[in-house]
Amino acid sequence: MTKQTFLHDKHIKLGAKMVDFAGWHMPVQYTSIIEEHNTVRNAVGLFDVSHMGEVVVKGEDALPFLNKLVPQDLTKLVERKAVYCQMTNKQGGIIDDLIIYKIEDEKYLIIFNASRTDEDLNWMVRNKKGFYVDVINESHNYSLLAVQGPKACDLMRSIGLEDLPPFFSIKRAELFDVNLWISRTGYTGEDGVEILVRNEFSEMLWDNILEAGTNFGIKPIGLGARDTLRLEAALHLYGNDLDEDTTPVEAGLSWSVSKNKIDDYNGKAIITEQLLNGGRKKLAGFKMLDRGIARHGYEVYDGDKKIGVVTSGGVSPVRGDNIGLAYIENSPEYKIDSKISIMIRDKLYAAQIIKKPFVTKRNKTEV
Amino acid sequence: MNESALCSKTHEYVLELQDNQYEIGLTDYAIEQLGDIVFVELPEAGSEFEKNEVFATIESVKAASEVYMPISGKVIAVNEAIVNAPEILNDETAEDKWFIKIESDADQVEFADLLDYSDYKEEVE
Repeated sequence: MTKQTFLHDKHIKLGAKMVDFAGWHMPVQYTSIIEEHNTVRNAVGLFDVSHMGEVVVKGEDALPFLNKLVPQDLTKLVERKAVYCQMTNKQGGIIDDLIIYKIEDEKYLIIFNASRTDEDLNWMVRNKKGFYVDVINESHNYSLLAVQGPKACDLMRSIGLEDLPPFFSIKRAELFDVNLWISRTGYTGEDGVEILVRNEFSEMLWDNILEAGTNFGIKPIGLGARDTLRLEAALHLYGNDLDEDTTPVEAGLSWSVSKNKIDDYNGKAIITEQLLNGGRKKLAGFKMLDRGIARHGYEVYDGDKKIGVVTSGGVSPVRGDNIGLAYIENSPEYKIDSKISIMIRDKLYAAQIIKKPFVTKRNKTEV
Repeated sequence: MNESALCSKTHEYVLELQDNQYEIGLTDYAIEQLGDIVFVELPEAGSEFEKNEVFATIESVKAASEVYMPISGKVIAVNEAIVNAPEILNDETAEDKWFIKIESDADQVEFADLLDYSDYKEEVE
């Protein structure tokens, strides 16, 4: 049965177009994807991302346990800071991408993809043997709201959150007399926060933020714009750009992998080797030169030779052109400015490899 | 859209302009369902299509869809305006949202499965 977030009725009343996404009945758009996209780039948007999963890992072995699951070195993670991680299998393939927050010693919060709930929890439980640790799925207790855009932080300050956590940090806060967690993270490439709150307060919070946000030009934003926003920022989408046959190195995530991590972790041998020599494939960003839109699964060509496959593609409302991500052969031949072609409905369309992200990210501004 | 047009179950409309000449496009319902339209590909004038054959492609932000001929015919005019500015299709105040004009000698059999606008609306809503 399709699940609903605690804000489902709000979406219906706002006239959202609803779709099934990862087992959840979610708003894909309220008015127009492009309009919502531009609202987040120019002002501020409010997202219901309560479908995302939350797991708390606690116990005296919480750190060594989590450090075995990801290529990032969590021994360096300090209290109330977050790190973007990939949970890898023994071959270095990505089971899911996550954000791990250190709440305090021996207690961590993990936010993961709704579509990967079963795989993630099974994998954690399978790896738990020998560790004194509890893995507690809190997904059904919490709602997650994202407030994103250049005016997001001004809006949060206007409702009483004077001291916002710095980029990739989390803090306990009180908002409208409710205790909640607020983190300086997001999935849009803009500055903003994500608010983790117990389900029973999510409707109150949604209404109050929308009302207070009127002065800032706030709009509710659906999953459609969430996808175009993250693509412009070249942020990966699990299932499109990441899967169990793709390593963090191949996914262009080497920057996030700890190079001198002492502890062993699942897939360490392969990932270490690939950090030196590269992977079997690499993720390239491209723009269409011909008029055409690349979509997930379309083939990539160099002349008449197939060299890869598109994993994400679509329009860039900010750039005004069509962009995409593709896995292509890991050959030095294919670099920034290389011309490639995309097969769209049995015809080849010219494209060019360009730098990622496709737009300038503005999420690392100071507090 | 002109409510005297006939509609297909795949959301195309066909409107008789004069003897043997018709205008073909997508229904307002289909456009609303697609959301922001960002790409339209139309055939060249002179091309001929059978009924139910794909004659155009339309892409919204989310996905690509094919557009089918509601009746057979030969293309005599193409609406380049929607190719150059697909967002016209989402503009409720815009008027010329037709895709192609055709010459056709389609007989009653080809029209048999097309619906009146009001029946179509009932069917889809």
